[in-house]
This record gives sequence, C-alpha cells and structure tokens, in this order.
Amino acid sequence: MPARTPKNFDMLYRDHVDLMYRFANRLCGEPDAAQDLVQETFLNAYRGFKKFRGDAQISTWLYTIASRACLRMRRRRKGAPERELSLDEFIPTSEGEFRLQIPVDGLSPEEALQNKELRQALDAAIDKLPKKYKMVLVLRDMEGLGAKEVGIIMGLNERAVKSRLHRARLFVRRELSARGITDATDAHDHERLK
Amino acid sequence: MAKRGAPRRGKRPATKPPQHGKGRCLHILRELSAYIDDELSGDICQEIRRHLGACPNCEDFVASLRQTVSLCRHSPAPALSSADRAFMREKILQTARAR
Repeated sequence: MPARTPKNFDMLYRDHVDLMYRFANRLCGEPDAAQDLVQETFLNAYRGFKKFRGDAQISTWLYTIASRACLRMRRRRKGAPERELSLDEFIPTSEGEFRLQIPVDGLSPEEALQNKELRQALDAAIDKLPKKYKMVLVLRDMEGLGAKEVGIIMGLNERAVKSRLHRARLFVRRELSARGITDATDAHDHERLK
Repeated sequence: MAKRGAPRRGKRPATKPPQHGKGRCLHILRELSAYIDDELSGDICQEIRRHLGACPNCEDFVASLRQTVSLCRHSPAPALSSADRAFMREKILQTARAR
C-alpha cells in the first residue's frame, strides 16, 4: 500500500466506494446507515494504510474493515447476543412448506425480482437474519465472493463459512416460503426497477 | 423430505422406495447447499440425485433452495449518487484531519 496521502486515498475511494456502498446497503438495509458504514470503513482504511501489507486484495481488506465496523456499530446499538440458527428449525412440518409460495416459476431471477412485493419479501427475509449469518450470505451469495475469501474477511475457516451459509439460505428460504406472494402478474407487469 | 403432514396431492406417485425415510431426508437437508454449489464428490452427488428422484418433497425443497439462492444472487442494490459520493469523501477527509 502506498503512503497515506490525499491523492492515494482518492484513488482508493474512487475505485472502491461503489463496491463498499453496495455491500453496506445490503448489510444495513437502509441508505443512511449504509453511508455511515462506508464513511467508517474508509476512515479506518485511511488510518490503516500503513498496516496493509498487500497479502490480500484491497477489496478483501476493505470488506474486512467494513464487516468489523458493522459488527461494532451493531454492538453499540444492541447489547443482546445474537441467536444461533439450528438446522432442526428448518425442517418443513407441513405440505405447503416444501415449495416457495412465490411467483418464480418460468421466470428468470431478474424477471421475478421485478415484482416489488417479492423484492421486499426477500429484503425483509435477509434483514431478519442474525448478523453473522447475514454477513456470510451477503458476501457469498450477493457479493459473489468465494468461501475462502469470506473466511479471511470474517476470521472463520471454510467449513464454518459453509455451515453458516447453509443455515442462512435455509432461513431465507423458509421466510419466503412462509410469506407467500400470490398476486404475481400485476406486480410483475407494472412494477419496474428504478 | 419425509412427509410429516397430510398426504401430498399432485401428479407424482404416492409410493416410496423402501429405503426412503425421514432420517435419509435429514441427511440430505444437511448437504443441500454443498450440493447446489457443486462442492460434493461424484458419489455423494449421485446418491443425492437418486434420493431426489425418489422423494418429491426433497426435490421440491432443493428446487426452492436453488430459487432462493438465485434470487439473492440477482437482488439489485441501489447505487450511490455522485453528490453523495462527493459528500462522503469530503466528510471522511474532514474527520481524518480533525482527529
């Protein structure tokens, strides 16, 4: 990492701010908190320029800073420990729980997500996840990182990453299944992404 | 997935192979993310595929998990406006200089 100068910071900021904002938005679920997290992330990156040894990609380093900042921000807001997700709680107990009761059949994911109600249900399901599971899901399934990189960011081995990811996916699946969205066509036809 | 509720209504036959049971379904449930991420050995994948072919509920379950992952992967995220980008940059540098 080059010396800590406004010019070098500008390059770092310019190249990665959109990536970090997208990540922060997915973690926080709302724009103001996402902006706070991005500012905290780049402030810590600015101060930590000298500590970065170049062992990992810069984006991995920034994801790590953002993830830690997010956990700190959460701890400041809530004191209660996060709950663990058990596999047993995701075993369907009735016939209707095996399939998703949402309008996705025959549609590409992009088409399905033009349904505002479905987008909101998905966002709500992800938002309900305990933070440590949410982080793994966001990094792996939404940011598209590999399990090894997620492990580096979160300080976990790959096995733990995969275990958390599986539980997080089962949680979101169950939430979508329980929610049920029936009025697919109107919402799909008329609600376009902004 | 072993059936717990009322009998399934649908096109598939109601009969199950003798080796099928709830314990087998739970074993499959534990492996499903690794299965859809293609992280399992060929032998285990084949075993799971065999089970899915014989268990409509598990087949539905794995399809719904795939759909969930696919929706997450394609979920849009709002973009940052140029004004917000510039404002945040200024605020970060101000805070860094002040401390």
